[in-house]
Amino acid sequence: MTRHLVCRLNEIATGVIKPVAVGRGTILLTRLPADDIKAVAARCPHQGANLEYACLTGYVTSDCPNDLHSERPGQILRCPWHGFEFDLSDGRSVADHGKLRLRQFKVEVEDENVFVVI
Amino acid sequence: MLLIDTDVHESFSGVRDLVPYLPEPYREWIARGAWRGFSQPFCYTSPGSGNRADVRNADGSASVSDYGLMRRQLLDPYNETYTVLTGYFYPTMLKLQYGLSSALASAYNDYVIEHWLSKDSRFIGSIQINARDPEAAAREIDRIAEHPQIKQVMLPVVDDIAYGHPMYRPIFAAAERHGLVIALHHTILAEGPFGLGLHYIERHALLPTSMMAEVISLILNGVFDNYPSLRFIILEGGFSWLPHLMWRMDREYRQGRVEVPWVKKLPSEHMRSRLRFSTQPTEDLSGDQWLKLIDLMGGDEYLVFSTDYPHFDFDDPRVSIPNSLPDDLREKIFWKNGADLYGLEAPAQ
Repeated sequence: MTRHLVCRLNEIATGVIKPVAVGRGTILLTRLPADDIKAVAARCPHQGANLEYACLTGYVTSDCPNDLHSERPGQILRCPWHGFEFDLSDGRSVADHGKLRLRQFKVEVEDENVFVVI
Repeated sequence: MLLIDTDVHESFSGVRDLVPYLPEPYREWIARGAWRGFSQPFCYTSPGSGNRADVRNADGSASVSDYGLMRRQLLDPYNETYTVLTGYFYPTMLKLQYGLSSALASAYNDYVIEHWLSKDSRFIGSIQINARDPEAAAREIDRIAEHPQIKQVMLPVVDDIAYGHPMYRPIFAAAERHGLVIALHHTILAEGPFGLGLHYIERHALLPTSMMAEVISLILNGVFDNYPSLRFIILEGGFSWLPHLMWRMDREYRQGRVEVPWVKKLPSEHMRSRLRFSTQPTEDLSGDQWLKLIDLMGGDEYLVFSTDYPHFDFDDPRVSIPNSLPDDLREKIFWKNGADLYGLEAPAQ
């Protein structure tokens, strides 16, 4: 396992995807509302779309047709190609209960420096 | 082998047979011939018109209203354990005069109870409704659901209703309340995406597309989620399209769930646990093709046998399901899947 210094903590905001270069690849960082920093691979596990262009949104739910609610803002990543939803809390695809999963990386913060462990 | 025939079309000799069961003023209207029933907007091309040509009364006239004939031609020779009567008089086809339509549904149900269900304990009955007045339809379901031979509600596929629309919820609530199956069957109004086509053969080949549209509507508008114990059967609408629809709808759901989050499962999961199909017309598949198709469906619990008697495209249970299929699969198609759907047990010997 190798620690890679990727950015300063104040460069990562809630609701925003920050791509960082690690080796020859790209990792995406975002801050969840509870202040957790999440790091995920930049390729969609479905067909490989570049997730730098994904959107961060809430979890849309409903118990009754045409009565929509959005919960957990900024915690769902939607692929820029097909709109597949991934829950950033665990990387699992929402619609099929985790049949697909985003690759996640461990994040460490020291002295306002953000490290990704690969 | 035990056998459930899930699509058999009893009828009357004419709409005037309903006069004794109608309230006024509808009784007087029908008695004086103000309306003579539905007429198809096309010409049948088979030798017996819409029916097998050998379904004849003693005087040679066509018949679909004779219990004795049905018994001699179907129930006894094929030793049917249960025969599910599904009618072909669907008042929902009447696009106006909802009061008359609902009264016709009630009258037909009473007619069937007296002239069909009471004559043979092998018959399983269906409730006819006027779906255009869902509250009245629910009252009709409540009225006769407790009849011991009634097991399902017929939902006729016409040309202007997708049953997922929220206005039809009272029908599903009533069916679930009474533990009844929802059966979808085409009518003479059912169309494909661009209408009936230009020939009867087109119209007949298009019928499965109308069923696909209904399944899409029911699942994506939340009927399967809102009524979790309700089960559905597609009658005479084909079944070989199921793998396509499961794959396509699952893909659509993965990418578009945010629009319909009241749908809590993959569409294929709903289909697998809640949707069944009658086999007729079997599309003349070989034994190998049946096995490949069932493999693609992901399970052998979907299919239940039907003859479609007395209609011209009848499937003979001795021929239409290949004898080369494994015995346990044949038993599921002929008996177990249908018995599970309708909650039936083998009669005491």
